[in-house]
Amino acid sequence: MAFVNQASREVQLKIVYYGPALSGKTTNLETIHERIRPDHKGDLTSLDTAQDRTLFFDFMPLEADAIKGFKTRFLMYTVPGQVMYNTTRRIVLRGVDGVVFVADSQWGEMEANVESLSNLEENLRAQGSSLEHVPHVIQFNKRDLDNIAPEHYMEFVLNNGETRRPSFSSVATDGTGVFEALNMIARLVLHRFVSGPTGKDAEGQQLRLVD
Amino acid sequence: MTLELTSHDADRLRRVLRDLLAQAEADSCLICDQAGHVLVQLNLLDEDPLRVSALGAGVFAATRELARIIGEDEFSTVLHQGDRRSILIEAVDEESLVVVLFTGDHKVGLVKLYAPAAAAAVRRVLTEARNRSNTDGTSQTRFELEDSKSIFGSSNAG
Repeated sequence: MAFVNQASREVQLKIVYYGPALSGKTTNLETIHERIRPDHKGDLTSLDTAQDRTLFFDFMPLEADAIKGFKTRFLMYTVPGQVMYNTTRRIVLRGVDGVVFVADSQWGEMEANVESLSNLEENLRAQGSSLEHVPHVIQFNKRDLDNIAPEHYMEFVLNNGETRRPSFSSVATDGTGVFEALNMIARLVLHRFVSGPTGKDAEGQQLRLVD
Repeated sequence: MTLELTSHDADRLRRVLRDLLAQAEADSCLICDQAGHVLVQLNLLDEDPLRVSALGAGVFAATRELARIIGEDEFSTVLHQGDRRSILIEAVDEESLVVVLFTGDHKVGLVKLYAPAAAAAVRRVLTEARNRSNTDGTSQTRFELEDSKSIFGSSNAG
């Protein structure tokens, strides 16, 4: 759910990184935090265990000049991926405007990927929404590892809906694909914010994303 | 659904917060929603309001789940009391919270006394603001995107 403050000329949008445990959600935010311009970011807050596993969420605000006349803040969150933290994932998903689904490309994690995507859909439905209505992109992470599934297989398993979502190969540890996915989800979220669910602007013209 | 506050809404909310700070002798406060958005903040100087908001909303949501476990709908107030400084989070409604930061444990009573009335006043303003949204949940303001291929760039190559 976007928020607009006319007094301070600010728009706030929420993006959540979702995916199975250890897929690279936190690594994405850490990499973004390391590499993004200092004037575009706030502190990265991580609520994690002693073993560096996300316990509640990671949070980082980003700022961009994306909407004319307004300061645009993107509130970036990750969820804990471990199965037992589903209540926490629901809490973090509240008011989400866009999702980056981070999948683990290793063959042994395909089931976890599918379950996590299904879990995301279930949690969105629990708050009256769905993947169909929330802008999202899919990141096939850990492309640097051995024993990974080919991209076309991952597309088949995770991106086989009526509308293909933007997908990105990534190696979050070295930044490959991280900013590509971030920029795309930001554009999708902005597009939705400006045009609403109809995809049209204030004059009734259909908006489209131009590369 | 987009929540949009006009300048008039923001002024009214700041007046509520100023009164709260004066009556409760608190240091600073903010209003946030359950998604972690900062709606209005007052006097947060050393603390990042976005972090306070994100963590406060998360804490409150977690305690709401705890409340349900013991048979309550929710806890309307959550207090974290430190040796010197403390935070009180008061529910405004299903969507929003007032977060109050104060110094000195002797002020707990004052903050607890005045926070509910402040929350009620905030609720009135936010209800009006929500009722103004379009039926499809979009904003009534016309927004225009900046022309830029890339929204976020990295400061070093990877």
